[in-house]
Amino acid sequence: MASEFELSRNITIGQHVPTGSFIHRLDPRIKLLVFTILVIAIALNTSYVGNALGLLLSIYLFWASKIPVSYGLSGIKPAIPFIIILAVLQLIFQGNVFSGGTVFFEYGVILITSESIRLVIVSAVRFVEIILLSSVLTLSTSTTELTHAIQSLLSPLKKIKFPVHELSLIITIAIRFVPTFAIEMEKMMKAQASRGADFGSGEWWRIIQRTKDMLPIIIPLFNIALSRAEDLILAMESRCYTPGNDRSAYSVYRAIGRDYVVLIIGLLFSALLLFYHFPY
Amino acid sequence: MPIIEIENLSHTYMKGTPLEHRALKGTSMVVNEGECIAIIGHTGSGKSTLIQHFNGLIRPDSGKVMIDGVDLSKKRIDIKGLRRKVGLVFQNPEDQIFEKLIGDDIAYGPFKLGLPLKEVRERVKWAMDMVGLDFEKMKDRQTFALSGGQKRKVALAGILALKPKILVLDEPTAGLDPKSRNELLDKIKFLNKTENLTVIFVSHNMEEVAYLADRVYVMANGTDVLSGTPEDIFTDKERLQLYQIGTPETVQALYRLKDHGYKVDTSAFTISEAAGEIIKVLANGGGENRG
Repeated sequence: MASEFELSRNITIGQHVPTGSFIHRLDPRIKLLVFTILVIAIALNTSYVGNALGLLLSIYLFWASKIPVSYGLSGIKPAIPFIIILAVLQLIFQGNVFSGGTVFFEYGVILITSESIRLVIVSAVRFVEIILLSSVLTLSTSTTELTHAIQSLLSPLKKIKFPVHELSLIITIAIRFVPTFAIEMEKMMKAQASRGADFGSGEWWRIIQRTKDMLPIIIPLFNIALSRAEDLILAMESRCYTPGNDRSAYSVYRAIGRDYVVLIIGLLFSALLLFYHFPY
Repeated sequence: MPIIEIENLSHTYMKGTPLEHRALKGTSMVVNEGECIAIIGHTGSGKSTLIQHFNGLIRPDSGKVMIDGVDLSKKRIDIKGLRRKVGLVFQNPEDQIFEKLIGDDIAYGPFKLGLPLKEVRERVKWAMDMVGLDFEKMKDRQTFALSGGQKRKVALAGILALKPKILVLDEPTAGLDPKSRNELLDKIKFLNKTENLTVIFVSHNMEEVAYLADRVYVMANGTDVLSGTPEDIFTDKERLQLYQIGTPETVQALYRLKDHGYKVDTSAFTISEAAGEIIKVLANGGGENRG
């Protein structure tokens, strides 16, 4: 029996697994750029073949970064209910929107066609691809690297007075604290379970009761989050952090040959997904 | 009679992921009913993982865990009954307070047991008495306005209200001011000696260990490397250094006197005994006694 309280186990976003692979050593700016373009390309591709290619690529990236694919897949587990609900809703109600192809079933507003089935399968696979890709990105890139990447990619927006630095700081802090709060929540669940609390044992339709059962965790967690935020503010201020100032970075990134190769391959792959008309 | 028996216990966190971490490697431990046991060791030596086995928050990966006759390696056990028997107080337990009023928060556990209101009230009163909070005066106070020491007392009372047979505490005095610390230690001692609770606590403070513990387990790298009475442990200077464990200041002072050539009994580790030894040295005129 795996521990019933091991929450951090299924959280792959925001964890950093240093294996020192090729992917880890890439310029974070290139990584983030390629990632963004790939996600857009995958989101717009509606063909079976295209998404199969995308899935293969995301699995290959796990292999290349020397992180077990099973670890990335465990990050999908919590999302499975959403994927299923989404798929069912799409299957039932989207037939009229994507009405091309053969009609398999029709009853009232429900219309199931080969096109709507395609939509259901493709969006589920797409979801998995995007989770895998974002996992590779965050597992192979430290938060500091990610911040620098976000900041430097968004820096052209500074011209129109967009708060680039502030935004990247917010994103970094948000990502950084996902595993931290998972650990805090784990501790809180254990502490309250030691006082006789039980979670998730009531019938699922008694929503109010089950929500009430969560209060002993949620309230302390809010308290902890607020006091952590205060600590963070103090820590930043005591290091003379001033928002809006120009600041230089300790590590300067310079893209080298392999970074450009990855960029070109990534762009070509995305172009393939975006513009090539796949037969299936 | 042993109330806790642990044999060759191992535990791995995040099994099957790249972040896999072996926290316990073949630990054994026996705790008798009514004893007060201290677990000491460095950060990452597996202390917290070990104590979470005591009330079934973590089930044994391999090895044997028997708690008051319940074998935790069996799949179907009365886990709620076990948690009622073993009260586990986490580090910084004040974080777990969530009700607005002190009385309500302490009553959470007993209510969860399904006890009638009258019994709950009695238990809350008893628990507050035990930790030294005045029931009538404090039960309707707001929890968020309390000081750190008082919050910890409330959290401890919340566990005691379950009337556990075994009380497990993870660094109970960490972050408390000296006055609250001494108060809390006295309460724990009282619970152990007078209310006959079996107490197991994790600590980094050797004065505390010397003051409370009947026996000490030393953990290092996920196993128990040393065990014995505080006297055995604190006088075993070589192994203390090997595992980088501190000694109470009393022992340190006596050893330094001994190094300077005074005849003192270095096994006198409680404050009063050590004071006695130092007075002896002073009474003999100090310097004349150099050997």
